Amino acid sequence: MIYKIQATSQGHFTRVQHYLLYSARQKPHGEFNKARWLYFGCSQLLVHTVRMPDSTYGRSDSYRVATTQDKADRSPKKKKGGTKDMDDLKKEVPITEHKMSIEEVCRKFNTDIVQGLTNAKAAEYLIRDGPNALTPPPTTPEWVKFCRQLFGGFSILLWTGAILCFLAYAIQAATEDEPAGDNLYLGIVLTAVVVITGCFSYFQEAKSSKIMESFKNMVPQQALVIREGEKVTINAEEVVGGDLIEVKGGDRIPADIRVVSAHGCKVDNSSLTGESEPQSRSPDCTHDNPLETRNVAFFSTNCVEGTARGIVICTGDRTVMGRIATLTSGLETGKTPIAKEIEHFIHIITGVAVFLGVTFFILAIILGYSWLEAVIFLIGIIVANVPEGLLATVTVCLTLTAKRMAKKNCLVKNLEAVETLGSTSTICSDKTGTLTQNRMTVAHMWFDNQIHEADTTEDQSGASFDKSSVTWLSLARVAGLCNRAQFKAGQDSLPILKRDVAGDASESALLKCIELSCGSVRAMRDRNKKVAEIPFNSTNKYQLSVHETEDPNDNRYLLVMKGAPERILDRCTTILVQGKEQPMDEELKEAFQNAYMELGGLGERVLGFCHVLLPEDQYPKGFAFDTEDVNFQTDNLCFVGLMSMIDPPRAAVPDAVIMVTGDHPITAKAIAKGVGIISEGNETVEDIAARLNIPVSQVNPRDAKACVVHGTDLKDLSQDQMDDILRNHTEIVFARTSPQQKLIIVEGCQRLGAIVAVTGDGVNDSPALKKADIGVAMGISGSDVSKQAADMILLDDNFASIVTGVEEGRLIFDNLKKSIAYTLTSNIPEITPFLFFIIVNIPLPLGTITILCIDLGTDMVPAISLAYETAESDIMKRQPRNPARDKLVNERLISIAYGQIGMIQALGGFFAYFVILAENGFLPSRLVGIRLNWDDRSTNDLEDSYGQQWTYEQRKIVEFTCHTAFFVSIVVVQWADVIICKTRRNSVFQQGMRNKILIFGLFEETALAAFLSYCPGMDVALRMYPLKPSWWFCAFPYSFLIFVYDEIRKLLLRRNPGGWVERETYY
Amino acid sequence: MYKGKERKGSSSEWRDAFWNPRTHELLGRTASSWGLILLFYLVFYLFLAGMFVLTMYIMLLTLDDYKPTWQDRLATPGMMIHPKGDQLEITFSVSETESWDRFTQTLNTFLSPYNDSYQVQMNDNCPPDQFFIQEDSGEVRNNPKRSCQFNRSMLEECAGISDRFYGYSRGQPCVLIKLNRVIGMLPGKNGQSPYVTCGAKREDGDKLGPLAYYPPNGTFNLMYYPYYGKKAQVNYTQPLVAVKFLNASVNTDINVECKINSNTLEAGSERDKFAGRVSFKLRINHT
Repeated sequence: MIYKIQATSQGHFTRVQHYLLYSARQKPHGEFNKARWLYFGCSQLLVHTVRMPDSTYGRSDSYRVATTQDKADRSPKKKKGGTKDMDDLKKEVPITEHKMSIEEVCRKFNTDIVQGLTNAKAAEYLIRDGPNALTPPPTTPEWVKFCRQLFGGFSILLWTGAILCFLAYAIQAATEDEPAGDNLYLGIVLTAVVVITGCFSYFQEAKSSKIMESFKNMVPQQALVIREGEKVTINAEEVVGGDLIEVKGGDRIPADIRVVSAHGCKVDNSSLTGESEPQSRSPDCTHDNPLETRNVAFFSTNCVEGTARGIVICTGDRTVMGRIATLTSGLETGKTPIAKEIEHFIHIITGVAVFLGVTFFILAIILGYSWLEAVIFLIGIIVANVPEGLLATVTVCLTLTAKRMAKKNCLVKNLEAVETLGSTSTICSDKTGTLTQNRMTVAHMWFDNQIHEADTTEDQSGASFDKSSVTWLSLARVAGLCNRAQFKAGQDSLPILKRDVAGDASESALLKCIELSCGSVRAMRDRNKKVAEIPFNSTNKYQLSVHETEDPNDNRYLLVMKGAPERILDRCTTILVQGKEQPMDEELKEAFQNAYMELGGLGERVLGFCHVLLPEDQYPKGFAFDTEDVNFQTDNLCFVGLMSMIDPPRAAVPDAVIMVTGDHPITAKAIAKGVGIISEGNETVEDIAARLNIPVSQVNPRDAKACVVHGTDLKDLSQDQMDDILRNHTEIVFARTSPQQKLIIVEGCQRLGAIVAVTGDGVNDSPALKKADIGVAMGISGSDVSKQAADMILLDDNFASIVTGVEEGRLIFDNLKKSIAYTLTSNIPEITPFLFFIIVNIPLPLGTITILCIDLGTDMVPAISLAYETAESDIMKRQPRNPARDKLVNERLISIAYGQIGMIQALGGFFAYFVILAENGFLPSRLVGIRLNWDDRSTNDLEDSYGQQWTYEQRKIVEFTCHTAFFVSIVVVQWADVIICKTRRNSVFQQGMRNKILIFGLFEETALAAFLSYCPGMDVALRMYPLKPSWWFCAFPYSFLIFVYDEIRKLLLRRNPGGWVERETYY
Repeated sequence: MYKGKERKGSSSEWRDAFWNPRTHELLGRTASSWGLILLFYLVFYLFLAGMFVLTMYIMLLTLDDYKPTWQDRLATPGMMIHPKGDQLEITFSVSETESWDRFTQTLNTFLSPYNDSYQVQMNDNCPPDQFFIQEDSGEVRNNPKRSCQFNRSMLEECAGISDRFYGYSRGQPCVLIKLNRVIGMLPGKNGQSPYVTCGAKREDGDKLGPLAYYPPNGTFNLMYYPYYGKKAQVNYTQPLVAVKFLNASVNTDINVECKINSNTLEAGSERDKFAGRVSFKLRINHT
């Protein structure tokens, strides 16, 4: 078995290489280890099965890790993918120079193989072709971005409100002597609100895009050119077609060049093709495809070693790299899922606002109000309907999440992309390592003729079998002794499952399992000193070790062995059942086969274990075991049992993972099977054909769940065929794909409604990265172009961060729902006052200023604090959300927020309103229909229920006190609301009140409300008045009702999963 | 891998969204589904209404029938004129009867309860210049409380008896001024009744001319106070002061401000133009 590892030029591979080297030193037993290898391999290195003696994956012994290319013959017509827009960019690279002789090339560019271009010619070409640099992608001017923030979302509605305010004021100013300033102030406030939230969003966006600036620090490059026979170093931008150029190891190649001479020159094309292995360059044309031939070196790739001289054939945007970059920057990217959700939500709210506004405008006109009054009602309804602070809240929530992710080395370029990973339903990746938990664990065991589930709980509470069984103890002993893994030092305080282990994955899994159930393995090994060991090798397919027994009086040696079950079985003549050794008969063999099949069918990696006590007469104490030339018995053993392990797929991994790789289909399929992209039991059409021994054409494609598509086939597929493949296969592998084909795959998935994530690091990935709903680029290994195209950058190249991303994305989606539910609820107590004001003609219970105080003041911090809420359940176990069905804001959320909680809140507010008016002398019966006199400035002797008379100003003060009390009541009921919004299903008592920000929010909103009510001068500034202490308590019963009501609702929700309550109220 | 997205014509989709004949769904819900949700909301809102009524009922129980809980906003009683005119503007032409006819009409209506005969019949003739206090003795309500007579004739020239047109026909209009009723308010002390003075605002000073106040000195006699509320003191007659503009300038706007002078009432805030004072515009057109 040869593990050949060659250094690559890319530093980020080092960690993995260390692992591989370590594993190699450890000589892991290949059978159960290969998958790990491949797993790692395809996650970070290109692993190719070069020689497959058994032709099936998992049986071959020679692996070459990241070695020379068998990728070099990747699809020759790779550029033929695109048919739609940007056609020519998607076409084949129009380079023909590699097929020409050097003389022809010289002739074409009017250059000389020795002298190079003349300065005059160079200058002429420079003017003709422009500088040799990539055109930066067109950026939106800052003012356009600013305007977009200023006029997007709810802003239009608020602008309308503000303009109506100014209009109303203008009318008043023109018709009245002393116009009330209310409308003017409100207009100014609304304008300020729009501008401030606009600025806020703008700066948030600017801030996140600023991080990108740091990636752009391009050092001006130099190039060594030969012009008029002299070597000159010029700025790389001045290089023109036909220039004779010299490159040496360490240089970046300044343009696409046709190599004319080379000395041990190797280039690293990884940023262009994803191949990490340096490739040698020579003047000979070795391939028709310019990308594969050895005599062309590409712009922005690196020369790793040696020197070469070549003629520039393409510069700037016309280079291969330039074409991909241009293709990428030209791609239209759709809106992010969260942006779509927010837009959907804005549409709903705007619809409601416009509908209510227009309805009541017309109603007001019909009821005989003046135009001016009707307009003022309209303003009020708009202001009440629009959750002014919500977009800022959403931005803050997303920013908080982005920051949290940045701490975990997951840089989010586009704020909205924070959520996208959480709703991703399809991942296109060649980095399949992302998809499993990288945590092999023992799942099942078979002994005493029975399959037992392994107990993975820390306290062993979930034991499903008798731990005292002799067979189990023997099995545990074999698994513990015949095992080279050991815990790293200094982790005694950690839970066993979290400890780091030195050793390969399956041995670690066994170690942890035994440690968990039988106590210290180290002690066991100390008791049973190891005297000899044969590590795993792939011819034997077993590992064995010989130990002294625990009993000091027993001088026999214990031989323990583990390995591939069938190989182990072959060496056994007896089997341990219920602690007794029994001869291995056909019946037991069949039982073994069934168990093996069953466990294997679960997609688990099965190991067999056996042992034997070597007879003392043949192997007396001190017997020299020779492991090279095995001088002891390795058969006639006693079979003990099977143990099976899985590397659990990441629970959150979308059910659809599409592997898109440049590898050969066979390799790709093998890898896919190895890591579970093609799960065990699923067959491709070819597999079915092979199994049934019929031609491929006779197989019903619908029978095959898995599918391997060759990149070259892809270009011949029609859109429908493509859709068909994507729709009818759960497990798809695309092999040999070019950048354009990756793009087509992404587009295909999106066409079917999937939310697609693409991971990649090379320039070749960038079109797909850009097109994907979320592109994830690598911070260290990724090329600048890919980083530009991506929405998210893994700064440490650690794919586990993607899982963080998924988790955070789902959490923020849940929490945004909560935030929105919380914020929207207070809309009802804001709108209803206007409606009753217009219909029942009572004095206005809540003014526009107080509405703004709620939306932009007291509601903000609690709404934001919900972003800090921890997950209620294991969000990673959920299916990714279906963007068609799982909306951010759905009818159930509206039903709860508007129809139920909001109504209770409104009643609380109205109660406070009636209390204040009644205690001041206006009983509810007096109020109905009072509005006209109430709002008449010239009526200064309005009679109350007690016969007292009120001036306009006196009753207005009472009215504004009512506004304040209504406002305070909303704060009080929002206490309960924020507490119930903490959870969607669980009880608050289950969830706890650990969210400190939320507790702070509760105090903050209360303090703010008290400040607004009691601060001197507020009566003039905001027309808010001090409340009598008792008025604070008016809404308490309603606040309590909200809490109790929702707890009961959630209780029913939990009691009857899928029941009516859930269908109607679970948002 | 994906649930097949069926492509349908958008119009049939819309129709299905409204009424789906296959599933019998109206707006996405079946009849029973609609029934359940509507029933839920009906019950829920009935419950809420019940709760609201209950809390309102409890709140109303805490209220006193005779006196509101809070009166702090009425520390300075408001003042008002009669006739009110249009937006407190009394504009008329002496020669055009129709222009002041409505003023005299409202005054007639307004003053009818003040008729001497009615007052004598209903109310007491109280001792003047002292409060007419009728305390309850503990829990026993001293109801109904008596009220003092304010006879229309006390307004003399402005009573509408000798001059049916309250001076409007001669360009010497009467304006009645009243002090807003506030339960329990005692607007003076030491036997000094509050009185009304009127003056012109700003530059209108010389246009106003002499004024006559009825009852003499424009006082609200202390005997009309305190007010016990409309439930306890059913026949309360609000005292009035009439101001007669004897020789106001014609064909010009005159801004008049009348205010109460009392040794107990605090001056109202600057913001309230009608607390302890009343402003109105007077314009007598004469051709």
